[in-house]
Amino acid sequence: MSLVEVKGVSKRFGGLTAVSGVDLAVNAGEIHCLIGPNGAGKSTLFKLIVGLYPPTEGSILFGTVDITAERPYARVQRGMSIKMQAPSVFKELPVRQNIQTALQERLSGSERIAEEDRLLTLLNLAADSDKLAGVLSHGQQQWLEIGMALALKPQLLLLDEPTAGMSPEETFRTGELIRSFNAEGMTVLVVEHDMAFVRQVAQRVTVLHLGRIFARGTLDSILQDEKVAEIYLGKTHAH
Amino acid sequence: MFKLLEGPQTLGRGKMFWSCFLVVLAGALAYPLFADSYDVGNFAYFLIWIFMALGLCLMWGYGGMLSFGQTLFFGIAGYGYGVLAINMGGGSATIAALVLSVVLAMIAAGILGYFMIWGGINGIFFGIVTLSATLVLAFFLGQTAGPEWHIGPARLNGFNGMKGMDPLTVGDFYIEGSALYYVMVALIVIVYLALRMLVNSGIGNVIVATRENPQRAEMLGYDVRKYQLLTFVIGSGLAGLSGALYTSWGQFITPSSIGLPAAAMPIVWVAFSGRSDLTATLVGSFLLLFGFQTITVYSQQAALVLMGALLLATVMLAPQGFVLGIGKLAADWWQGRRRRGDVVADAGRLQPEES
Amino acid sequence: MSAELFSLFYQFADVFAFLILSAAGLAIVFGMMGVINMAHGEFIMCGAYVTVGLVNLGVPLAIAQILAALTAGLIGVLVEFLVVRRFYKRPLDSLLATWGLSLIVTQSMLLIVGSAVRGIGTPEGSFAIGGYTFSTYRLVLFGCAVAVLAGLYIIFMKTRFGVIARATMQNAAMAKALGARTGRIYAISFGIGTGLAGLCGALYAPTMTLIPTMGATFVVESFVTVVIGGANVLLGTAPAAVFLAMIRMALNASYGQIIGQIGMLVAVILIIRVLPEGLSSVLVRRGR
Repeated sequence: MSLVEVKGVSKRFGGLTAVSGVDLAVNAGEIHCLIGPNGAGKSTLFKLIVGLYPPTEGSILFGTVDITAERPYARVQRGMSIKMQAPSVFKELPVRQNIQTALQERLSGSERIAEEDRLLTLLNLAADSDKLAGVLSHGQQQWLEIGMALALKPQLLLLDEPTAGMSPEETFRTGELIRSFNAEGMTVLVVEHDMAFVRQVAQRVTVLHLGRIFARGTLDSILQDEKVAEIYLGKTHAH
Repeated sequence: MFKLLEGPQTLGRGKMFWSCFLVVLAGALAYPLFADSYDVGNFAYFLIWIFMALGLCLMWGYGGMLSFGQTLFFGIAGYGYGVLAINMGGGSATIAALVLSVVLAMIAAGILGYFMIWGGINGIFFGIVTLSATLVLAFFLGQTAGPEWHIGPARLNGFNGMKGMDPLTVGDFYIEGSALYYVMVALIVIVYLALRMLVNSGIGNVIVATRENPQRAEMLGYDVRKYQLLTFVIGSGLAGLSGALYTSWGQFITPSSIGLPAAAMPIVWVAFSGRSDLTATLVGSFLLLFGFQTITVYSQQAALVLMGALLLATVMLAPQGFVLGIGKLAADWWQGRRRRGDVVADAGRLQPEES
Repeated sequence: MSAELFSLFYQFADVFAFLILSAAGLAIVFGMMGVINMAHGEFIMCGAYVTVGLVNLGVPLAIAQILAALTAGLIGVLVEFLVVRRFYKRPLDSLLATWGLSLIVTQSMLLIVGSAVRGIGTPEGSFAIGGYTFSTYRLVLFGCAVAVLAGLYIIFMKTRFGVIARATMQNAAMAKALGARTGRIYAISFGIGTGLAGLCGALYAPTMTLIPTMGATFVVESFVTVVIGGANVLLGTAPAAVFLAMIRMALNASYGQIIGQIGMLVAVILIIRVLPEGLSSVLVRRGR
């Protein structure tokens, strides 16, 4: 059963078509990776799913509910959360308050503080919890934003390039973290360029190219697809 | 719940701060025992304006919404109090007039805020739309000199303003002089502490988060527009409270309390004081009002030139505000001294959440 | 019948001219630098005072008006250099700084000049069509508003300065990298903006009482026109002025000036709810 389903969705900006007739179903409980060269429309598709852009055509279902017309906050309340491509945190607020703002609707009192501490430790931010989020390194801000997305305990977690700017070790740790949350039942949709990371986490992979679905399947089946190698290695006809 | 009096959103915590707070409060309560009634009346006059300064501090410093419309809501509630007090016939009904006029200002703020916030107006446009509305109200009231402009027996009277309403009254007792002063002090303490609790609460977290990054706040599941509207209604309602108290204090109100240059005054107080902190705004606004009134006795224009110069100097030299900057320096100095003396005791301060 | 039609046109032209002349300078500064000049009204006042001062010295009106606009423009360049320049990355602070300036100027003028200055009176001259009499000067003002729009079109679309200015508007860092002296472009643009404000004051000086606070008479109209017109003077401010002038004209005629102004404000507030990016976004989108 699919948790989120994108049906025939297109998005045009003026004359530019960023996403064109995309159908994508993410099954409940899976880790699904979205890959594709720069400009393939991956981030746009994410923003369509989470409601930052209205689609030009098509519809988006969450479970069985049509959420195409819903505002982002309503979709988040239904159980999705996102870490965006560029780190997006509350820069002038302390790290702990960033997490607290994400947690406070779900937990309160000592429970909330315990969960804050648990997340901060998990994200290696415990020592920096009183610093302003804006002074953290790029990588740490990524962690913090992942932490805020996780704090909502979403059914569907959308991660747009979660490991950009991270060392191989940190990337691996992020992968393990995602797998552990997935094991607890969280569905995850990830945009990622790092193939080692995709291999580590992905159960299914969809390739997006020029705003269209190009291929889908397991990572191995996709890597054996010559056409996929072509678009990545640039052998395809020029645009 | 009282835990919320302290938190990351407000400066000033610990025994030292609250001791100072109590000393100042005790001084304020004892003041009428030493001063003559004229000075007490003047003092009460300064306190009138503190509410609209605190309201602007909430909207601008915490919510990131720079409203130039404080005198708009000041005027709505100020005229509202006059109209209601005259129509309801004085006596204890004036208390109801006060409450209703503030509610009226909040409703007006709700309507204007709805159109602006749901229309996605922010940043500088938020300022100039609110200012436009303010100036239009001032122009309109200036045109109401004729006898046809009346609401019940209450004449609007154009530039000369509305007069003849009763001051706040309980039974046969007019709340004037020292009594009014004590009411003001009590209201300021309540509003100040309540705002501290608001900004340190979960709602306050969302308000400042929305200022920092509205998209991220929405991505945490908050309808940020509702929080912005709430902030705007509370902040403007406080301006309304100032307006109603002002009319009651002097038993008159004119359009010049609404238009230029009056509309700029709350901006100057809050910018000079330090918009990001309620305490700095409270202290700084009071100092500026005191200074302004002292100079106004000699020349109102000179006092206004000075206010303009202060605003310019603030943004050029200390964009975060002068009072806040000095307060932070003093706090750092105090902390530094204490840290040298007692390192262990200070460690608890770093984790206010766990206390 | 044609007399009534002309009368309608005349009323429209009167309001349209007022909106364009008061808003054009503000819109240029906002469009180029993203700054709202809160001292806009004071530059209008400056233009009016210089005009009246020169006319009282015996300078012909038209020449006095041109000199007044130039004076306001030069003062604008100076203000840009001393104050506004520091705030291009902090638009809200630029709003506060220019407001501080506005207070200083208005109140100093009240201190120095006082409130009363001898006016010069509206230039005589009227004509009649059908049973109606019309003031020639009001039509001159309309002509000036149209000329301002045409002038801006030529400056920004046909001159080298305009090309560089538009490039700077699109992407200041890129324009700078390509050798444009963005600092100078900003100073000139700000000067054009305040010069237009001065022109507005100069043109309206004969029609109104001169007081140091007269700028406030114009700011509401200029603000609301820019709010719904957005950043583009030609595609935003001009249509916004047409639209607002129609509303204003209809309400003025039936209910008087003040209701006209309130109605205009209400219309603006309704429009920002429906079209958050202003009228120009619609026009630009259609144009694509």
